[in-house]
Amino acid sequence: MSKKFIVCLLIFVLALGLVACGQTEKPAADDAATESKADAPAARVGDVNGDGKIVVGYISKNLTDPFHAPINSYAETTLEQMKKDGVIDSWTGILDGETDPNKQIDRADECITKSADYVIILPAEAEASDPAVTKLVDAGIKVIVVNSKTVSTDEKAIAYCGSNDVEAGRMLANWVLENVPNGGKYVHCTGVLGNSAQLERGQGIKEIMDKHPEFEMVGEPDTQWSGDKCANATTDAIAQYGSELVAIIADNDDMSSAAQRAANDAGRSDIICIGVDGNQNPLQMVKNGELGATVLQDGVGQLTAGIEVIKASIEGREFDKEPVIPFVLVTSENVGQYLD
Amino acid sequence: MVSNENEYVLVCKDISKAFGGTQALKSVQLKIKPGEVHALMGENGAGKSTLMKIVIGLYKQDSGSMTFEGKPYQAKGPVDAIKAGIAMIHQELNPEPHLSIADNIFLKREDTVCGIFLNKKKQNDRANEILRQFSFPYESTTLIKELTLAQVQMIEIIKAVSSDARLIIMDEPTSSLDSEETAHLFRVINDLKSKGVAIIYISHRMNEIFEICDQVSVFRDGMYIGSKPIADVSRHDLIEMMVGRKVENVFPKIDCEIGDVVFEARGLTGKGFSNINFKVRAGEILGISGLVGSGRSETMRAIFGLDSYESGKIFLNGKEIRIKSPADAIAKGICMVNEDRKNFGLCLLRSLRENISLPNLPKHQPHLLIDQAREKRECEDVAKKLTVKAASIEHTAYSLSGGNQQKVVISKWIMANPKLLILDEPTRGVDVGAKAEIHALMCQFAAKGMAVIMISSELPEVMSMSDRILVYHEGRIGGEILRSEILSESVTEKDILAKAFGGVSG
Amino acid sequence: MIENIKISRKNNDALKRFMGNYGIGVVLIIMMVAIGIMEPSFATKNNFINVAAQVSINGMIAYGMCLAITTGGIDLSVGAQLALTSCVLGQTITNMNMNIWLSCLIALAVSTAFGCLNGILIAKFNMFPFVVTLSTQLVIRGLSQVISSGKAISLTSMEFKGIYSNKLLSIPVPIVMLFVVTIVMYLLLHWTVFGRYIFAVGGNVNAAIASGVSEFKTKVGVYTVSGLLAGVAAIIFTAKTGSAQSNIGIGYETDAVAACVLGGTSFAGGIATIPGVLMGIFIIGFIYNGMNLIGVSSYYQSIVKGCVIIGAVLLDMLMNKKNQ
Ligand SMILES: Nc1ncnc2c1ncn2[C@@H]1O[C@H](COP(=O)(O)OP(=O)(O)OP(=O)(O)O)[C@@H](O)[C@H]1O
Ligand SMILES: [Mg+2]
Repeated sequence: MSKKFIVCLLIFVLALGLVACGQTEKPAADDAATESKADAPAARVGDVNGDGKIVVGYISKNLTDPFHAPINSYAETTLEQMKKDGVIDSWTGILDGETDPNKQIDRADECITKSADYVIILPAEAEASDPAVTKLVDAGIKVIVVNSKTVSTDEKAIAYCGSNDVEAGRMLANWVLENVPNGGKYVHCTGVLGNSAQLERGQGIKEIMDKHPEFEMVGEPDTQWSGDKCANATTDAIAQYGSELVAIIADNDDMSSAAQRAANDAGRSDIICIGVDGNQNPLQMVKNGELGATVLQDGVGQLTAGIEVIKASIEGREFDKEPVIPFVLVTSENVGQYLD
Repeated sequence: MVSNENEYVLVCKDISKAFGGTQALKSVQLKIKPGEVHALMGENGAGKSTLMKIVIGLYKQDSGSMTFEGKPYQAKGPVDAIKAGIAMIHQELNPEPHLSIADNIFLKREDTVCGIFLNKKKQNDRANEILRQFSFPYESTTLIKELTLAQVQMIEIIKAVSSDARLIIMDEPTSSLDSEETAHLFRVINDLKSKGVAIIYISHRMNEIFEICDQVSVFRDGMYIGSKPIADVSRHDLIEMMVGRKVENVFPKIDCEIGDVVFEARGLTGKGFSNINFKVRAGEILGISGLVGSGRSETMRAIFGLDSYESGKIFLNGKEIRIKSPADAIAKGICMVNEDRKNFGLCLLRSLRENISLPNLPKHQPHLLIDQAREKRECEDVAKKLTVKAASIEHTAYSLSGGNQQKVVISKWIMANPKLLILDEPTRGVDVGAKAEIHALMCQFAAKGMAVIMISSELPEVMSMSDRILVYHEGRIGGEILRSEILSESVTEKDILAKAFGGVSG
Repeated sequence: MIENIKISRKNNDALKRFMGNYGIGVVLIIMMVAIGIMEPSFATKNNFINVAAQVSINGMIAYGMCLAITTGGIDLSVGAQLALTSCVLGQTITNMNMNIWLSCLIALAVSTAFGCLNGILIAKFNMFPFVVTLSTQLVIRGLSQVISSGKAISLTSMEFKGIYSNKLLSIPVPIVMLFVVTIVMYLLLHWTVFGRYIFAVGGNVNAAIASGVSEFKTKVGVYTVSGLLAGVAAIIFTAKTGSAQSNIGIGYETDAVAACVLGGTSFAGGIATIPGVLMGIFIIGFIYNGMNLIGVSSYYQSIVKGCVIIGAVLLDMLMNKKNQ
């Protein structure tokens, strides 16, 4: 029995070992910190809390969504590089927000515990993630909100770097107008209800479509950002409305690409499907000519702007408090630029 | 001993085993010859089942060694043991309820095509053949859960016997069989014996030991006491070896004053019984005899509210009552010790204290929070009264020996202090000493004015304890026998059996 | 026999039983020490207060889940209950301007009623708890979408938000709530007749019924309590985020089940302890918090979490076995 006991302890130690491996580079960072302290006796501009170190926190929206994957990995490489270059002393690593405001608030607690000076946050919700921002700001941390706003962003954050989702919605609608001049029936596949991106994109779509009575919306299924659910909604709509169905507008392009695929499989490649984000899979389809277009939200661009704000703040430069990163309509002509 | 080790099929040498604080076995010996029926005896908790579980590899001994057919032997699990040629019928039955009879018989040694696919048809046919040899009245495709406890026991026996083992361990195989089935089992045992198969036979029923066994080994408190040919010992010797002191074999019934009718059933009809009429009076012990499956337990289950009945009326203290659930019955003062203690008697994973107090909580613990000190005191008292062998009442019921578990079940109903106490096979798996104590308790209760109904498949028990005996036959009451008739020997065991079989005595 | 237990043996047994029940505490301590060594900021009063406040939501859910698992079932509807209660709070407080305490009462009544409904479906019709709560979960989440029309309702009342952020004797309110609920649940499970019945029904339904226990009442009671606690969790959640919406609480049953399992709750039913579950709750909390403080890449965190849970349960099981 004692043998098994030891095996078990080993498993446990192994698990803790895994924990430890996340830490391997830390001593180096500490060294760097002491060195730089020796070099610069006076408190630096970027050292907001005055503890001699510049620490950056990064609270992601999630780690699973394909839209957020390149943003997260860009954050990792860039912040890691900044640490090497001595611009900052350390950063928290990518904290997983799990698309859950509750978890994002908990992650904010941890940034405070780690005495961060700057925190980048990509909020999961406009309303519910706001306490995370408020909490950080109240703790004297400079917060940069990226991708979407929380309610008190304008008032409390030092900068907001994002795009205008209403504009994206308008771009979706306009693409449909251009490609189906005669009008017809269309379906709007929504993201998870209540999400600000879903609400604002929907608003943009409605704004344009309401002015065009030749188009009739025949359904607004709750497809929850899921390509699979959207594909099902598409096949259902094709079965129900047949040739009258002319377009599928989706809140993201995981869904629009899945819808297009379903339509193509049903021999209805004439149906216009379009969505927002610019994920790799839809881009590839645009390249292959399977999908007409997609609206790219430049997430990496948003984050780049956020990190620029931090750099400027550390160096004591002026910076734009609300840089707007435009959406890009990606068609077969410009797709090469955005494909990895 | 000078004798050659090779003359034994199984030799266990200096086996010790402890469970946490309890030393279940202390360096015990056991030597079994081929073709012998070897009785293993001892009080509840003596360590018999534990040693057998070590033999088939369910537990591993702390020290000691075994040889099987001359070669060193150590099973890692029951499958190993079956492969080596040792099969065991467990005291606590454990077949898979959702499998068919055939699947159970061939469990772990299935007939397969290419080692993957089950050959169902062949397996069912073979099982049917075996069942017919034992004149078992069901098809091999019947599911286990449709069988009664006794039938399940038979299946376990059939399973062990059909495995071509050279040593079969039977841990209380007859505890839920009636006399007819027991006789059948004995024929099977004799048949096996003539084929050279050795049998280890564990039972608390003296009669059986003297009838079927050749040699007896006795354990006491985890220690090996001795081994003797059965011909050389008397009942008293055997009991003395087991208990370590002189004990009265049977508890003589005390006749109490019989009062008013406490309980009456009129025209009770339900699944397995019809038109049952009887009365029990205060101070009376009503024995119920009959074959297993004759509707005895079914009637009592219906009265206790575990099953429903279709028609008929029941009266308690002259007032008609309706019982919808055991909770109703308990609240009205009717309690029942179920024959199936594993399924209906105990929560094995909970402590003795919780098990004993469970049905008594509403009455004994009127406050919001349980008075644990009082609970502990009360439970310890009843457990002590019944000589439950356990290190403390905080231990789980699972860690107790079979007989001690039975005592725990009885304890919880004794604490309830009912008006009518129904006991279904109350001394199942209980050793001689404790049996006498349970009988004594029954008399005490009767003396206090309680009405007692006792179902038992052991004829001597029914005959010695009852004021009146009802004999069931195929779901009806086939006859009634008074104590005076038994005392005057105008009715014998044979007559009761005849009634149970539906014949007319004479 | 009971009378001749030696004193030394008795003490030893009590210790072993304690270790058997609460061996997971050792795991918790090892974990805390290990993380504390790796990251000094972990072992600060503020951080512990943070974690305790963070785990309060999962804590409430886990206690309800623990009861359900102990009766041999499971309650998968807790996540949806969280959403529905939250939406009811949003509707009543923001859109109907109700007194916040009254609306908390209404919200709790709603979640309790749905818990009760779960229990009735499970006990009355003898359906599998997994199936029942999987289905009611859809109904409940659907209702929350209907109530909120899929939109986030903002709660601006500072009084209500105070349920999360206020302090009582310098302890944050959610910690006080967790503390109170822990005590109440401890008494409920280990000191009341109802608690005994829960163990009995979970350990062996037939034996429980044959001992006069009502399976129906016990199960309905258990799921009702689970619903009520999910409601309490939702109040904390909503006060914390200041927003009521229908898409919250997805996947929350996972952490709750994990906390129960870590705490020694047996999936076969009939075995559980509240102190064990409390420790399980904190282990889960410390896994999240500790890994983030140490700076484990989030990509590895769920692997580590899974390994720690399996390792801890294995360790606990072996310790238990040794003590048998
Ligand atoms: N799994 C277990 N855990 C702890 N103690 C155990 C366990 N199994 C058996 N014991 C203890 O070991 C002792 C011997 O038990 P065992 O079952 O071998 O008795 P037995 O001789 O078969 O009695 P019975 O005639 O009542 O069946 C008892 O004191 C029992 O409490
Ligand atoms: Mg035994």
